[in-house]
Amino acid sequence: MKNKNSFYPYLLTLPAILFLMLVSLYPTLYSFYLSMTRSKQGITEFVGLRNYEVILRSSDFRQSLQLTIIFTVFYVFLTVAIAYILALMLNRGLRLTGIYMTIIFLPWVLSEITSGVVWRWMFYQDYGILQNLIGPILGGKAIITTNWGAMAIVITATTWRSISFAMLLLLAGLQTVPREIYEAASIDGSGGWSTFWRITWPLVRPTTIVTIVFITIQAINGVGMVLAITEGGPGRATEILGVHMYREAMEFFNFGYAAALSVVLLIINIILAAFYLRSMQQESALAS
Amino acid sequence: MIRRKQAINAFLNAFLISFCAIMLFPVIYAILVSLHRPGYGFFSIIPDIWTLENYNRLFVYGKFPRYILNSVINAGGGALVSTMLATLAAYAFARLEFKGKKIMNAFVLGMMMLPGLVSIIPIYRIASDLKLLNTYTLMIAVFGAYGIPLAIWIMKGFFESIPRALEEAAAIDGATPVQTFWQIVLPLTTPGLIATFLINFVYSWNNFFTPLVLISKTDMKMATVGLFDFQHVLEGNQDELLAAACVVIMVPAIVLFLVTREYFMRGMVEGAVKG
Repeated sequence: MKNKNSFYPYLLTLPAILFLMLVSLYPTLYSFYLSMTRSKQGITEFVGLRNYEVILRSSDFRQSLQLTIIFTVFYVFLTVAIAYILALMLNRGLRLTGIYMTIIFLPWVLSEITSGVVWRWMFYQDYGILQNLIGPILGGKAIITTNWGAMAIVITATTWRSISFAMLLLLAGLQTVPREIYEAASIDGSGGWSTFWRITWPLVRPTTIVTIVFITIQAINGVGMVLAITEGGPGRATEILGVHMYREAMEFFNFGYAAALSVVLLIINIILAAFYLRSMQQESALAS
Repeated sequence: MIRRKQAINAFLNAFLISFCAIMLFPVIYAILVSLHRPGYGFFSIIPDIWTLENYNRLFVYGKFPRYILNSVINAGGGALVSTMLATLAAYAFARLEFKGKKIMNAFVLGMMMLPGLVSIIPIYRIASDLKLLNTYTLMIAVFGAYGIPLAIWIMKGFFESIPRALEEAAAIDGATPVQTFWQIVLPLTTPGLIATFLINFVYSWNNFFTPLVLISKTDMKMATVGLFDFQHVLEGNQDELLAAACVVIMVPAIVLFLVTREYFMRGMVEGAVKG
C-alpha cells in the first residue's frame, strides 16, 4: 500500500505507543530516580546511591536473593522436566489430547490468590488433606510452619500452576520435528530410548532452552503465589525478591529501598531477556 | 507391533488421566468445600449435607458483591482500553509500511517482557502524587497498559490471516483506507476482537498483586484482594464461605477460558515465542 509518507500509520500506532510510554515506560524510568531518594514524613530527599549501598550490605537482601535462587532452581527444573514428559506423551497424537491439554491448562487460568487459598487448605494444620497424608512421614509437624516445608509447598504450587505454559512451548517445538525422521530411525532399528537421546533431545534443545529461560523469568518475578500461600513466612523463609520488595514498600514504607530493589530486578530481567531473545534467534535459525 | 502400540497408548492414557485428576484436584476440592453446611468445612471431603447456603451468605458477607462489581469495572475497562488501542496499532503493524515501524515493534516487545513487578513501586508513588490511588481510572489505565503488547500480537495474527486482496479490491472501488479498515477489515476480525477482549479480561480479573498494592480503600477493592482479606479472617473457622468466594472468582475465568481456549493458547505461545 502506498501510505509510506502519510500520517495514517502513526494515527493508528501512536495511541498505543504513547499509552505504553506513559503507563509502563515512564514509571520504570522513574524508579531510577525514586531509588536515589528517601522519604521521611512526607518529605522526599535525594540520597544518591545510598539505597544501593544499603542493599549491598543488607543481610535481608542476601537471604532473599539466596531464597530466590533456591526457588528458581527447583521451580524451573520441576516445571520443565514435568512439562517435557507431558509434551512427549501428548505429541503421540492420543485421541483425548485436546481434553488433557485443557485440564492441564486450568490452573494457569485461576487467580494466584484462589490457588493460594486452596493450597494453604491442603496443608492446614489439623485437617489439611496433604498435611494428613505427608505430615506423619515428616514427624507430624505442620509442614507449612517449617522453613523448608513452606518453601517446598510454594515451589510445588507454583509448578502446578505453570506446567501448562512450559508444556505448550515444548509441544510446539516437538511438533516441528518431521515424522519421517522418526520413521527412518525406527526402520534403522533404533529403540524409543535411543531415538529420544539421538534425535528428539538434540532437535528440541533450542526450544528447551527458550522454555527454561522463559520459566526462569517467571520465577525471578514471582510474588503473587508466595504472598497468597505464605506471605513470605514463616519468618522470612519464603521471602523471595518480589515479596521482599513488596514488604519493604507496603509494610515498612521504605520506598527508596524498594525502588532500588525494582532497579536490581529490572537489570536481572534485562539480562534474562537478552538471553531469551538470543536463544529464540538460535531456535528460529535452526528451524529454517 | 500394533498390540504393543495399543499397550503403550493405554498406559499413557492411564497416566495422563491420573495426572489430570491431580491437576484438577484443587479446583474440585474448593467446589466440594463450598458445598458443605456452615461450620462443617473440612470434617469430610464429601459434604454430609449438600447445600448452596454459602453462596447465599456470600451475597451479604462483607462487601463481596461490591468487590465483584469493582473487578468487573476494572477488568472490563482495562480490556476495552487495550483491545481498542492494540487493534489500531496491530493493523498498522500487519499491513502498512512506515518509518519507525521496527523501533515501535521492538518497543512493544520490550514492554511485553517488562514484568509488572518492576514498575509497581514507581506506579504506586506516581499515583499517590497524582491522588489516583484507589480509583477506577488508575486500575483501568494500568490493566490497559499491561494488556496492550499481547493484544497487539494476537490482533496482528488475525489481520495477517485476512487476504490482502479484499483490501486491494476495496481500494480499487474507491474506498479510503479509513473506510476499508472500518467497513471491511474490522467486521472480519470480530472473533479476534472478542477473543482479545476476553483474554485481557481474564488476566485482569485474576490479577491479585497489582490491586493489592494500588488499592487500600475497602470500597474500591477487587474480588481477588477481597479474597485475600477473607483468607485472614475465615480460614480455619468458616472455610466453606471462603471456598464459595474462591469458586465465584474461579468460575468466570474458567468459563471464559473454555470459550476462548484456542485463541488463549495460541496467543500465549505466540506471545512467548514469536516476539
